[in-house]
Amino acid sequence: MPVELENSSPVTVSTASGEASVTSSGNQTAIQAATQKKKRNLPGMPDPDAEVIALSPKTLMTTNRFVCEICKKGFQRDQNLQLHRRGHNLPWKLRQRSSKEVRKRVYVCPEASCVHHHPSRALGDLTGIKKHFSRKHGEKKWKCDKCSKKYAVQSDWKAHSKTCGTREYRCDCGTLFSRRDSFITHRAFCDALAEESARAQTVPNSNSEEDPKLQIVATSSPPPPASSSTIISAVLPIQTPELPENPTGFRSGVNGNSSNSVFASLFASATAAGNLQPQSAAFSDLICAMACSERQTHIAPEPTSLCLSSTNGSSLFAAAQDRRQYASASQPGMSATALLQKAAQMGATATNASLLRGLGIALSGGSSGQDESLQWNHHVEVEGGSGPGLRELMMGSSSLFGPKPTTLDFLGLGMNGGGAPVGGFSALIKSMGGGLDGGPEIKPNSSLL
Amino acid sequence: MNTELRSNTTPISPPSPSIFNTPQSSLSGALKGCLGSLDGACIEKLLLHCASALESNDVTLAQQVMWVLNNVASSVGDPNQRLTSWFLRALISRVSSVCPTAMNLHGSPTLQRTPVRSMSVTELAGYVDLIPWHRFGFCASNSAILKAIQGYPKVHILDFSITHCMQWPTLIDALAKRPEAPPSLRITVPSCRPPVPPLLNVSSEQVGLRLANFAKSRDVPFEFHVIDSSSSSTSSDVLAAESSSFHLESLLGQLNPSMLDLRDDEALVINCQNLLRYLPDEPGESNQNPSFRNAFLEIIKGLNPCVVTVVDEDADMDASSLTSRMIACFNYLWILFDALETFLPKDSWQRMEYEADVGHKIENIIGFEGLQRIERLESGVRLAQRMKNSNFQSIPFCEETVREVKFLLDEHASGWGMKREEDMLVLTWKGHNSVFATAWAPSGFDD
Repeated sequence: MPVELENSSPVTVSTASGEASVTSSGNQTAIQAATQKKKRNLPGMPDPDAEVIALSPKTLMTTNRFVCEICKKGFQRDQNLQLHRRGHNLPWKLRQRSSKEVRKRVYVCPEASCVHHHPSRALGDLTGIKKHFSRKHGEKKWKCDKCSKKYAVQSDWKAHSKTCGTREYRCDCGTLFSRRDSFITHRAFCDALAEESARAQTVPNSNSEEDPKLQIVATSSPPPPASSSTIISAVLPIQTPELPENPTGFRSGVNGNSSNSVFASLFASATAAGNLQPQSAAFSDLICAMACSERQTHIAPEPTSLCLSSTNGSSLFAAAQDRRQYASASQPGMSATALLQKAAQMGATATNASLLRGLGIALSGGSSGQDESLQWNHHVEVEGGSGPGLRELMMGSSSLFGPKPTTLDFLGLGMNGGGAPVGGFSALIKSMGGGLDGGPEIKPNSSLL
Repeated sequence: MNTELRSNTTPISPPSPSIFNTPQSSLSGALKGCLGSLDGACIEKLLLHCASALESNDVTLAQQVMWVLNNVASSVGDPNQRLTSWFLRALISRVSSVCPTAMNLHGSPTLQRTPVRSMSVTELAGYVDLIPWHRFGFCASNSAILKAIQGYPKVHILDFSITHCMQWPTLIDALAKRPEAPPSLRITVPSCRPPVPPLLNVSSEQVGLRLANFAKSRDVPFEFHVIDSSSSSTSSDVLAAESSSFHLESLLGQLNPSMLDLRDDEALVINCQNLLRYLPDEPGESNQNPSFRNAFLEIIKGLNPCVVTVVDEDADMDASSLTSRMIACFNYLWILFDALETFLPKDSWQRMEYEADVGHKIENIIGFEGLQRIERLESGVRLAQRMKNSNFQSIPFCEETVREVKFLLDEHASGWGMKREEDMLVLTWKGHNSVFATAWAPSGFDD
C-alpha cells in the first residue's frame, strides 16, 4: 500500500472517505445511507474530499524534498522551490500547480502497522507527518544533556531543553510540577495548604478581619453531601464486592425463568440452578475482569468456578486458570484472514465453538481449547429447559438445539432440523427490537432452551 | 479468502444451511478488505457490522463479529486494541441488558456495570492535567470570563461541570494577580451531578472548603455555595437510580434567582463544561414544550448573565441509529487513546484509569437506549447553532486568550494544537478536533 516515490510529485492513493465499505448486502443500503449522511460530520475524520498522499519513508526523512527539475537544487519548502524556478525564466508555466484549485491534502504514514497509515487517520500537514514519522518510527538522535531524554525530531529536543529543569514549582507536600497551572490547581486542593491555613487560624489576632472574607455557606440545610453522594452510589455499582452478590440474588430465579437467567448464564453453563452460583459469580468476575483487569487484583478469583459445564471439571475458562488476566490473553497477532478461517473451521468441524469458546480461546491466549469444548458441549446437552438464548450465545453449544452436536454453526446458534435458527438469542434480540411475540420461546426440540 | 471460506463451510450437515452463504450473516463480508492484520479500519468495519447486525436483529452476525472483536481486544495492547476492548464490553452490556437482569438489585436497571473508582481532590487535580483535554477548556473559559468581568467588583459564578471545580484555582490565581484589587468571588454549584466519571470521594462542600482556603491564601474574598437540593431529597435517592432525568427536573427547579441568591451588583457568569450533553434533547410532551436542554438555556438566559462559557467535546454522539453512534464513537475516541499512548506507557495505571472512564462513556453510548443513555453529545457546530437559536450571541476570544491557550499547549506533548472555527476555539490532536470552547451572552445584553 505505501507507494515508493523518488520524486516529489504526490500520488493520490485514495480519497479519504468517511464510509467504511460495506459488503453485507442485506444491510448495505441502510448503512451506506447512514454513513453517507454522516460523512461530513464524522468526528476525528479529516476532510472527506481531501487528497490523500502517501510518501515513502525516504521522502519523509529527506530534508530537501522539493527538487528543481532543471538544476537539481533541493529545497525544504515548496514555496522556496517555486521562487527559485522563476529564476530559470521558463517559457511557459510548467507544472502549474498553483492554477488548479487548492485541494486540501492529508498525509498518511508509510509504516503499515502505524495507526496513521489509514486515510481516516491521516495527518493534515506535511510537517506533521514528517515529524510523526521521525518521532514514532525514526531513530532518536537528539539527547537532552540534563535529563538524558531522547528525541528523534530536533525541534522537540530544543523545546524540551528550554524547559528542562528551568521551571519547577514545588508544593509544600513535596510534589514537583513543571507547569504553573498544574501547580496552582494542585496547591489549591492540597492537604498542605489546608494544614497551613489551619495552623494560621489558631493564631488569635490575624483571623478576625479575614473571617468576613471567608465564608462557606452551604445554603442547603438538609445534608447535601449525603444526598449528592448517595445519588451517585445509588446509581453506580461502584463496589466490586457487590457484584458477586447480584448473581446470588437472581440465581434462584434461573429455573425456567428466562429473563433472569440470561445475564447470569451469560458466561455460565446452562445447567440447572444448582450449579449457577459459582458460575454466576464467575460471570460477574469475568465482567469485572474485563472492566478492570489491571486495576483490580481480584480478577477471576475462582477460575474453577468459571465452569461452563457443571459436572465436568474442564471448562472453557479452565484454560484461563493458567492465565488469570482475561484481558491480557488476546491474540493480537492473528490476522483477519486467520480469524476468518478459524471461524469457518469451527463451524465446519462442528466442534460447536461458541462465542464463549472463542472467548476462551482468547482467554487462554492461544490454546485452542477444542478438546474442552467438546467435553463441555456434551455436558451441555443435559440441560433442562431454562433460560433463553443469550446463554446459548455464550455457550454456543449446538447441542442445545438438537440431539446431535454436529449440525450447527460455529457459534452454536443451532440451526435446527427445520433450518430456521432456533432462537433463544434471536428471540432475545428480536424482543430488543420489540418485534417478538412475547418473548423467548421454549422450543420442544431444544432441550436447552 | 472468500473461496476458502465457502469450501470450509460445505461439510456442515445438510439440514442446516451454511450460514456463511446467507448474505446477512456474512462474516466474510465483514472482514472483506481487511488484509493482513486487523487495524483500525478493520475494527471500524467490524463495529459497523456488529451495530447494523444488532439493529436488524441478525444475531448470528453479531455473535460472529463479537467473537472476532474479542480476539482483537486487549486492555493493555495498542490503542486500537484497548479501544476495542471497551467497545466489546459495551456491546456485551447492550446485548445482555435487553433482558431485565437481576443485576438490578434495586429493581431498576443499573446504569453502568463498570465499577468506577472515586478519587481524592489531589488525584483529580492530577487527572485533569494529564493531558490538555480539560485544561484547554478551563484556560479558554477562564480567559473569556476574566475579560467579561472586568470592572465588576463582585462576581458570581454558576458552575455546571463534571470536574468538581478543578477549573477555579487558576481563575482565583489570575484574579489575585490583577493590578486593581481582586473582585469578591462567589461560586455556586448544583447539588446534583450526572453519575459519570471522574468521581470524587469528598462532597462538594469539602471542595468548596479547599477553594476557600486557597482564595484566602491569595487574598481573594470568596464564598462557596451548593444549591439547596429540593425538599424531596429522600425520594430523589431512590428515584435517581431509576431515571437520571429525575434530578434534572429538580436542577431546572433550582435555577431561579431566589434559590441562587442572585444579587444585583454582581456580574453573573455561567460556566457549562461537559454538561450540556447530559441534558436530554427530546422534545417535551407537546410541541410547545422545549426539550430539557433548550429549557435549561432559556432559564439561564433569563438570569441575565454577562457571559456564558460552554465547553464540550467536539463530536456528535447522539444519533438515534446505533450504527452511526458506533462509528462516531470509534472515530472520535481514538483521539484520546492515541494521545494517551503517545506519552504514557502501556501499563500506566493513570492511563488505564483514564481509558476506563472513556470506556464508561462508550458503554453508555453503545450499551443503552432511552433515558438510560445519558450521553448525548453534540458537536460545537450544532451547539453554536442551538445557542443562536436560543438568542445568544457569541463572544469571540481575544488574541490574548489565544496566546494563553497556545502557551498552554506548548507545554504539553507536541501533537496538541488549536484552531479557530468562527468564534470557537478548538483543541486538536494531530489536527483532529477534540474539544471546543465558546463564550456567549444573551442577545441584546448591555455591558
